[in-house]
Amino acid sequence: MRVSPTCRLLAAIVVVFTAAGSALAEPTKPPAKPAAKPAGKPAKVDVAPMVAKLKSNDETQIRTALDQLRNAGAGAASAAPQVADLLGRGLSETTTVQAIDTLGDLESPEGSAVLAQYAGHRTLTIRRASVKALTRTRGPAAGAALRHALGDPDPQIRGAAASGLGALRAKDAVPDLFVALDHRVNEAAASIGQICSPDQCDQLVAKIGKVPFDVVTGGLDQILFRPSAEVSDEMKIKVLGQVRETGTAESNKFLKDIQKRLPKETSPRVKQAVEQAVRATAGGPQ
Amino acid sequence: VKRRGFVAVAGLLALGAASCGDPNRPKTFSSDWRDDQGKTIGEVLTRVRGAKPPPSTDLVVSVAGRDKIIGTPLGAGSPWTATHALDGRPIIAGNVVVVSGNGEVVALDAASGKAIWTRPTGNVPLLGAGDDGNLTALTLSRSSGGSTLLMVGRDGTVVRQLETEKALGAPAVLGGLVFVPWAGQYVSALDPQSNEEIGRVTVREKVTRAFVVGGTLYFGDVSYVRFDDNIVRASAGQASKVGVPSRELPGTPRLLVPGTEKIPAVANARDRDRLFGRPDGASNPFGVDSNRFYADYYKLVFGFDAARGQLSWVRTHPDEVIGGEAVAGGLLTCDAQGKLTVFDALNGATTMEKSVGEPIASCTVQADTFRSPKGAPSAAPVAKQIIEAVQLREPTLATAQRLLLRELATLEDESATKTLVEIATDPRSAPVLAADARASLATRRNGASYMLTALGKHYDFLHDVLMSPPVGPMSDALAAMKEAKAAPLLASHLFDPADTEDDVKRASAALAVLATDKELPQCKQFFGMYRGTASTEDMASAVASVAEAMLRLDAKGSRPILEAALKDSNTALPVHARLDTLLAAANKDKDNKDKPDGGT
Repeated sequence: MRVSPTCRLLAAIVVVFTAAGSALAEPTKPPAKPAAKPAGKPAKVDVAPMVAKLKSNDETQIRTALDQLRNAGAGAASAAPQVADLLGRGLSETTTVQAIDTLGDLESPEGSAVLAQYAGHRTLTIRRASVKALTRTRGPAAGAALRHALGDPDPQIRGAAASGLGALRAKDAVPDLFVALDHRVNEAAASIGQICSPDQCDQLVAKIGKVPFDVVTGGLDQILFRPSAEVSDEMKIKVLGQVRETGTAESNKFLKDIQKRLPKETSPRVKQAVEQAVRATAGGPQ
Repeated sequence: VKRRGFVAVAGLLALGAASCGDPNRPKTFSSDWRDDQGKTIGEVLTRVRGAKPPPSTDLVVSVAGRDKIIGTPLGAGSPWTATHALDGRPIIAGNVVVVSGNGEVVALDAASGKAIWTRPTGNVPLLGAGDDGNLTALTLSRSSGGSTLLMVGRDGTVVRQLETEKALGAPAVLGGLVFVPWAGQYVSALDPQSNEEIGRVTVREKVTRAFVVGGTLYFGDVSYVRFDDNIVRASAGQASKVGVPSRELPGTPRLLVPGTEKIPAVANARDRDRLFGRPDGASNPFGVDSNRFYADYYKLVFGFDAARGQLSWVRTHPDEVIGGEAVAGGLLTCDAQGKLTVFDALNGATTMEKSVGEPIASCTVQADTFRSPKGAPSAAPVAKQIIEAVQLREPTLATAQRLLLRELATLEDESATKTLVEIATDPRSAPVLAADARASLATRRNGASYMLTALGKHYDFLHDVLMSPPVGPMSDALAAMKEAKAAPLLASHLFDPADTEDDVKRASAALAVLATDKELPQCKQFFGMYRGTASTEDMASAVASVAEAMLRLDAKGSRPILEAALKDSNTALPVHARLDTLLAAANKDKDNKDKPDGGT
């Protein structure tokens, strides 16, 4: 099945906010069902009335326009430059956060540059909102800003940035994500699992026993559910073998969960490896 | 009990006998004595003038474990050990070492450690001892209050024993007379033969100790008073006196342990925080040897100019210093590992090292004729010595390091700036020290290159840079130095959320002076991001400083931006007020310039 880029992005966003919500969350579910929106381009919205309000210099009108744009979502993406311009000129704190959220909803790369600037704002709420929005706008500035945000003083921002880089499929950020993982940015594991090359996936597998099991499996889970075109069966079997070797009750629980969720089209070799691993780890120590 | 009763009666008889002598002489330790303007002490001075006590043994006596006494000669002679229970620190007096414990005092030969005599004490604490080669005077603290003064001959016989309600200090013996400080202000001279107090002086300084160094008698506690011709004017405050110069010192060190205080056998915190100075018998006016006072503070050893109080040197010792004494030409210290070190008075260079042979609990030093070996190797410059001392990451040293940091800040040396930057940016620095370093950095006017390097760093969690550089203080300094290279670095710190608001405020103020056209876009970006979100006075001030920079760099392009912000309700109130003032001043300037006469 061919998945459209939009669907893939929406699926990734689901992963981002699941992971960002809790550093030690349950293993991330496979990015399989981007159900919220139908595939294809969103219907375009006439943004002219809203843009007029944005240019009114009246805070009430501006805020109304921002609300309308948020409701319109990606269909109103053509208004992104005006929202970005407003942020560039400066707004009150409340309106700033609203404008940032709006840019996120518009999902236009044209919002990324200004969001990247606000990702370094001193006010935590503004910074968090910017990092969150950047994972949706994408664009050239987004990846760089999120990589920078991995070193932020705020742990929530570091986590969101790590998740965002996975969502953006920022493959060049994987080395940074490994550094982040070593610095207990647990969200980095899932992101690495989403985008790692074979060597990098090996590197993540080698983290078993070095970082908490439920953290590393957040990434291994992602590897196991990636399409064969991205991750070979050999790699998946290798991952399963490494988990099997731990022989613990928690690895058995993880493998059983994988077994339940395996798609029908999973290769017989991988299915067999899962079954064997589940059997081998049954009754393992806690 | 019988013996004690006998001793008490004998004491009373002795005091009674003393009161029947010359009516001009003070009654022994009587407080109804009227100052005689130096008459009796003058007579005592005449009597002992020319007395040449034999040189005292140059010796370090250490306590190891609970009852081991180790003698380490500083000159010729062999080390010795003795064993005796100890309820206080051994006292070196002339050529004997007096130890107390197990209900007795024992005099050991300072050269060999062999016992010379033993006297029972009834477990009363030994406070002080003096000796002139023939007679040993001891003061002991009575459990019922007051003191006992015991004078013991070389054969161990008690020559005299006086009991008094007064608190006696540590005695000295010179020319056959016993000098006893008491009541914190008097020194009485007692003749053991007649059992009379033959002279007394009122010293207008606190005195609790009498001691002989290099054949000269001194009294002291917080300062030294020399027993010389001026002693007859002591009650008028004109005795020969030398004290510690008034200056900040590490901790609260004491020059001498009060002679009324029992010194524990094991060194305590006070031994790690002491002052030292050796009175110079030959100096005129009276001063201290080599014009130096010294202090120890745990692992740090300081040398101060005695006249002006300036820090001359500071040495970092590998172990904590637990005792020592000023010697001729330097300072001798002992550390807990049993290492003896002599530092040169002039520059702090190590001139001699010796080992006791094992770790020690305390030490006592007597250096009568010993002097620091000459031909000392050159020492590092004081700036380097300070830098080494302040970079020791030990919380116990923070108090002394703060003092050194202030010394460092006065040095016109770029390496001082470098060290201040390092301390301010090192997460291992004690917080008070880092705060002091920040404060000092703001006043530096050199070492810009070190500041620029530091400004190039930012908080970075991933790369374990968990402390921002001292942006604010360095901004102040670099702006004062008009260091143009700082502008781009300062501009980058406007957008670092890990910097404090104070740092951002001061960086902005520096940019108002230093920013160039290259920083204009960043100034505009900062203005846009914060003119509506600056909720504190510091941030509002930062926005105003950046606006000032914008006006300076591009008045034509920036004025509309600032005027629009002034009209916009999104602009935060504290920013609004500052913008109003800034634009009004700028307009006034412009009007003046536009006038035909240029506003003159």
